Amino acid sequence: MNLRIAGMGWVTPLGRGIDSVWDRLLRGDHATAETISDSVSNKAYSGFRVPSETLKDLPPHPRLRRASAISRFAAAAGLDALTQARSTIGEIDMERMALIFAVSNGGVIYTKRFYHDVVESGAQAASPLLFPETVFNAPASHLAAILGIAGASYTIVGDGAVGVLAAKMAADVIENERLDGCLIVGAEEADWLLCDAYHKWRLLRKKPPIELFSDPPRGTILSEGAGAIFLGGKGDVQIEAIDAGGNFSQRAQAGKIAQQILHRLADHNACLIASANGTFVDLAERTAIEKELPEAIVYSPKAAIGESVGASALWQIIVAARALRTNRLPSTSGAREIACKKAIVISCGLNQQAAGLRLSI
Amino acid sequence: MPTFNDLDGKTLAPRVAIVAAGVVSPLGLGLNNSLSALKANRDCILPVTAFEVGQCRCKTAGQVPDEVLDQHLNGRKSRRLHRASKMMIAALDELRNQDPEFAPELTVIGTTSGGMSFGQDYYRALHRHRGLRHSPQWIANYPPQKPVIDAQETCGISAPCQIIANACASGTNAIGHAFECVRSGKYQRVLTGGYDAISELVFVGFDSLQASTSERCRPFDRDRSGMVLGEGAAVIALENLERAHARGAKIMAEIIGYGISTDNHHLTQPDPSGSGPRRAMEQALQSANLTARNVDYINAHGTATVFNDAAEGKAIRELFGKVPVSSTKSMIGHSLGAAGAIEAVVCLLALQAQLLPANLNFSNSDPNLDLEIVANESRPAKIDIVLSNSFGFGGTNASVLIQKYAA
Repeated sequence: MNLRIAGMGWVTPLGRGIDSVWDRLLRGDHATAETISDSVSNKAYSGFRVPSETLKDLPPHPRLRRASAISRFAAAAGLDALTQARSTIGEIDMERMALIFAVSNGGVIYTKRFYHDVVESGAQAASPLLFPETVFNAPASHLAAILGIAGASYTIVGDGAVGVLAAKMAADVIENERLDGCLIVGAEEADWLLCDAYHKWRLLRKKPPIELFSDPPRGTILSEGAGAIFLGGKGDVQIEAIDAGGNFSQRAQAGKIAQQILHRLADHNACLIASANGTFVDLAERTAIEKELPEAIVYSPKAAIGESVGASALWQIIVAARALRTNRLPSTSGAREIACKKAIVISCGLNQQAAGLRLSI
Repeated sequence: MPTFNDLDGKTLAPRVAIVAAGVVSPLGLGLNNSLSALKANRDCILPVTAFEVGQCRCKTAGQVPDEVLDQHLNGRKSRRLHRASKMMIAALDELRNQDPEFAPELTVIGTTSGGMSFGQDYYRALHRHRGLRHSPQWIANYPPQKPVIDAQETCGISAPCQIIANACASGTNAIGHAFECVRSGKYQRVLTGGYDAISELVFVGFDSLQASTSERCRPFDRDRSGMVLGEGAAVIALENLERAHARGAKIMAEIIGYGISTDNHHLTQPDPSGSGPRRAMEQALQSANLTARNVDYINAHGTATVFNDAAEGKAIRELFGKVPVSSTKSMIGHSLGAAGAIEAVVCLLALQAQLLPANLNFSNSDPNLDLEIVANESRPAKIDIVLSNSFGFGGTNASVLIQKYAA
C-alpha cells in the first residue's frame, strides 16, 4: 500500500489552515466555548464553533449559496487540501480522482429547520429548498460539483471512527478502480439539538474544560468544522496500515476492541493520537494503551478543539501527520519535542465503532 | 459469453459469487415470498398508516407490516429496536439460514436515513415539552450504523461496517463497492446490501418537492406523475467464487460489473442528457468486459418522476437499443437506500426463475422514450445477464451487472 498524504485542509474552532491551527495547538491554545441555545427549550449548552470570518474567502460558487454550514466547512477543507496536493504532486486529473465524505450527524441545522416547520404547521409548510440539504450526501455533492469530480463519490456515515473507515474505503477505492488519488473530507456542524441529544445520552458536560482520561469521565464538548486529506502516490507522510477495527455492543467492550486494534498496529517507535474526549472512550483507550503501548507518548486534540464526531478522526490524522513532520506535539506545558517516525491514530467512537491507522515518515 | 472479468487484459481477476441473500420488502419476507409476489405482479402500494399524510399530495407507500418484522424478535428487544433494525435482522437471518458458515471480513451497507423516525419522536417530544423519557433510547437507536450492528449481533456476525449514504443509489453503491473489494482479491467475503424504513420527514420532503404522486406509480409511462416511497432491507453475501466453490457453498449468481458516476448538474435533478446514468452503465459494462448486446434485462431505477425516467430512458435507449426494461418500484415503491439492494435481489430471483419482472401501471408509451417495457405482467424469458440501476440526489449514479451462474 503506497498511500501518501499529498495535501491537507483543516477548519476548526481554532481557525482554518494547517499551519495556523497547528501553531495554535502547539502554543497550548484552546477553543473558546460559545453558548448554544434554541427556542424549543430554555436549556443552553456549551459548544466550540468555527469563527464566522474563517470561511469569508470561500469561492462564490452557486452550490454554496444556500448550502448548510457543514457543506461550507467541507468545501473549505477540501479546497485547501487540493491546493496543497497540487503543490506536492503537480497537476491533478480530476477524472482519476475519487471523493469520500465522512460524516456522523450531517446537516442537522437544516434538518431541524425543515422538520420544525412540519411539526409547527403541518406537511404543507415543508420547504422544498431545505429538504435536499438534509440528505447525508448533500455536502459531498456540492464539493464534487465545485471540484469537478465526475467519477466515484461516496458518503460514508458512522460515529467518531468514521474518518478512519473512510480512509480504509479510500485505500480500497484507489486500488479497486486504479485511481491516482482520493480526497477524504470529514465534516460536522454543531447545533443545540445535537448538544441536547448527547447530553441526554450522558456524554456532554456543561462547560469546558474537557478533562481527558479522568475517572469517572466528566463529559465532552461538541465542536464543528472539517478535516480533509488528499491521498495520492506522493507526499512525505505515508499511511502504512489501516485497521477497520470492529463494533462494540456495550461501552465496556470498547476497551477490548481498542486493544485489539492497537495490538495489530503497535510499533514501539510510534506516538499515539487518541480520540479521548472526556467520555467512556477515555477509559477504553487508557486500558488499551496501558496494555499494548504503555511507553507511548499520547495526545488527544479534543481537549483543545472538542468532539467534532464526523470530522474528528480526520483531525486526528492531521495532528499525527503534523507531529511526524515537525517532530513536535502539543502538551499541557507547551510544545513537546518528539523523535517518532511513526504515529498511530486510534479512534473509538461514541456509537459502537472503533478503528485505527498508522502513519510513517 | 464472457465468464471472467479481465482487469488489465492479462490477469484474470477473481470471480465474485453471490452465495446467499435475504430480503424483506412490501413484496413479503424472504426470497420465496418475494418471487411469488413478482410472478403474481402484486401491487403492494397501500395507504400510509405510520403517520399523518392528510396534508400531503401523496398518501400511499409500499410498507412492511410490523407483525412480519416482530416474528424474529422477542418482545422486549422488539420494543427497543427501530423498525430499520428489525428489517435488517429479518433479512440477515434469512441469509444466515442459507449459509451459516458465511463469515464476512467486511460489511458494506447502504441507507439514507437510519433510524429517522426515532429522531422525529425525539424532536416532537422536545417540541411539546413532554414524553422525553424514551429519548436516550431513541437517540441510541438513531444512527445509521445501529441497524447494521444490531443485525450482525443478532446473527452472530462481527465485521467492521462501512455505511454508505449516497442517497437513492446507496444500496447499489454498497453492492458495487463490496463487489470490487472481493474482485480485487483483498477480501474473500463481504456482506453487503441496504435498508431504509419509511419516515414522515422523508415522506413529507419528497412531497414538498412534488416528486411523489397522488396517483399510481407509473414508471416510463407517458402520463407518469411521480414516485411513491417504499421501505425494506436486503442483504447479499459475496464471496470469491473459487473459495465458495471449494467449501461447497451454493452459488446463486455472480456479480460481474459495477459502474459509478457523479452528475454535477443539480443537487436533485439529473442532467437531461442522461450522461450521468449512461456513464455508470458504460462503466459497468466495461468493468465486466461486456458490450450492451450481452445484457438481457434492465431493472431500471425508474422512479416514475418526469425528469428521472426521461434521463434514464434516454441513456438506456442510446446505449442498449431495445432490451426488456422494468421498474419494480411500480410494485413496491422507492425504498431509497434499500432500493438498489432489494432490486439486486429481484434481479437474482429473475435470473433463477428465468422471469422478467413487471413494470406495473403502464398504459401509454412515452413517445420520447422508445423502450421495451415489460408492461404490467411478468413473463418467462431466457436471461443470463441483467443490469440493475440506481440513481440518487447529489447526482450519484450506480449500476451493477449480475450474471446467472453456470457451473
